[in-house]
Amino acid sequence: MINSTLYLREMKKSVKMLLIFAAVISMYAVIIIGMYDPEMMETLKAFEEMMPELMAAVGMSTGETTLLGFMVSYLYGFIFLIFPMVYCILRGNGLVSKYTDDGAMAVLVAAPVKRRTIVCTQLAVLVSGVVLLIAYSTILELVVASAQFPEQLVAGDLITLNLALLCLHLFIAGICFFASCFFSETRHSIAFGAGIPALMYVIQMLANVGEETEFAKYFTFFTLFDANGIVEKSQGSLTGAVVLLVGAVLLYVAGGVVFCRKDLFL
Amino acid sequence: MEQIIQIEHLTKNFGKHRGIEDVSFSVEKGEIFGFLGPNGAGKTTTIRHLMGFIKSQTGQCRINGMDCWKESDKIQRSLGYIPGEINFFDDMTGEEFLRFVTKYRGLTSLERQKELLERFDLDTKGKIKKMSKGMKQKIGIITAFMHDPDILILDEPTSGLDPLMQNRFIELLAEEKKKGKTILLSSHMFEEVERTCDRIGIIREGKMVAVDSVENLRERHMHRYTVTLANEEEALAFAKDFDGKASGNMVTLASRQSLENIFMNYYGGENNDK
Repeated sequence: MINSTLYLREMKKSVKMLLIFAAVISMYAVIIIGMYDPEMMETLKAFEEMMPELMAAVGMSTGETTLLGFMVSYLYGFIFLIFPMVYCILRGNGLVSKYTDDGAMAVLVAAPVKRRTIVCTQLAVLVSGVVLLIAYSTILELVVASAQFPEQLVAGDLITLNLALLCLHLFIAGICFFASCFFSETRHSIAFGAGIPALMYVIQMLANVGEETEFAKYFTFFTLFDANGIVEKSQGSLTGAVVLLVGAVLLYVAGGVVFCRKDLFL
Repeated sequence: MEQIIQIEHLTKNFGKHRGIEDVSFSVEKGEIFGFLGPNGAGKTTTIRHLMGFIKSQTGQCRINGMDCWKESDKIQRSLGYIPGEINFFDDMTGEEFLRFVTKYRGLTSLERQKELLERFDLDTKGKIKKMSKGMKQKIGIITAFMHDPDILILDEPTSGLDPLMQNRFIELLAEEKKKGKTILLSSHMFEEVERTCDRIGIIREGKMVAVDSVENLRERHMHRYTVTLANEEEALAFAKDFDGKASGNMVTLASRQSLENIFMNYYGGENNDK
């Protein structure tokens, strides 16, 4: 199904990028978890009262006062959405359309390797990267939280939350992967693969601002990832995550089929 | 003779008179087939079909009896290819790239690769990104030949090579031909084709305008003249000087046109005449 030589080469490239993203995420996660302080919550509430739109737009609404609630408010509205998303965009584009565009794909196709194998390998690389990034984040959060605030974080709840987060990013990876397979030029692949997730995020920010713009939430897939709902174990939020996962698989299959059937001008 | 590469009525229309139309020819086992045409005539488009990169609109092409689109992975096992425009993984060094291709193709022996590296005098230490066109071309040649394929599809393989390396490449082709390899060589270099190829196909504006052996092509475009001289002696001297045939006081002369002139006949045509 996959070509191990190609997989290893691409993972080597992924790891370099993952290290950078892991470093950035680590920095934010450590700082933000370290800021948790039940008393501090009061200060933040005050902030929110002063400038509710701005705080809400970036997803920082103080809801829960538990550690996990705090993390949901300050990590899962921006940091854990944007950074893995940027990873998906960069890597998704680099795995297929970059090679089609610059002609290096000829090396891969002009060999006794099926196109299906090539595209499955590249997909496996993309998915592996996303899984590694979210898995790393999960371990990091557990370690930092238990070091600073022992027994305040229920591991099971965090894992459920991050599984839902993984579904969201697998879906975003799906959009990028499909764009990468569909377009033969990098600029189109990036315009679509980066443009759609970015636009969706902006709509999500808009929907968060206030009641007047709340209807915007029906136009963005980010609504399907409801971190607060997952923490509260609401059925709707879990369904949302499953929908994202199903959507991701559909996008992977569609991307793969398009790539296997398209004309490659190499 | 066994036909290794068969192209039948292959058509791919890109609009605006671009693409190829009803292209048919075949390459027999053990022959070198020269595929000639001006830029944009459809050489690379035809080759892309053979490589399984693009799907034909009508018509079909087969290699070893296998459909080039549906069974391209099987065909590739015994096929070597030099693309018209060489692009590899820029982030790798030449050495890393060759190691990658070896493993990617599932090869085990490195002997042939070593031999080729020596033959083309290539230093693979540097990053591919920083390599000159000629060096990249050499890497392309090595990747195409290192798995000792039975069929070779070479899209302007000598572009970027210096004359010395071009000669070495032509020697390599001759050796491969001796081994019974089937070679499709696209080019716009007349000498190269004249020196190496058994048969030639000429493509122009997406259509095949001639497919024949080098000799026949020459024959067809040869002009004969009969000159009558004063006496037999003069006729003999004339025949000697101008490489003709004397009979009595008449001498028959043939113009041996270079292949280049023949191509120009085909290339020219309506557009250039206007």
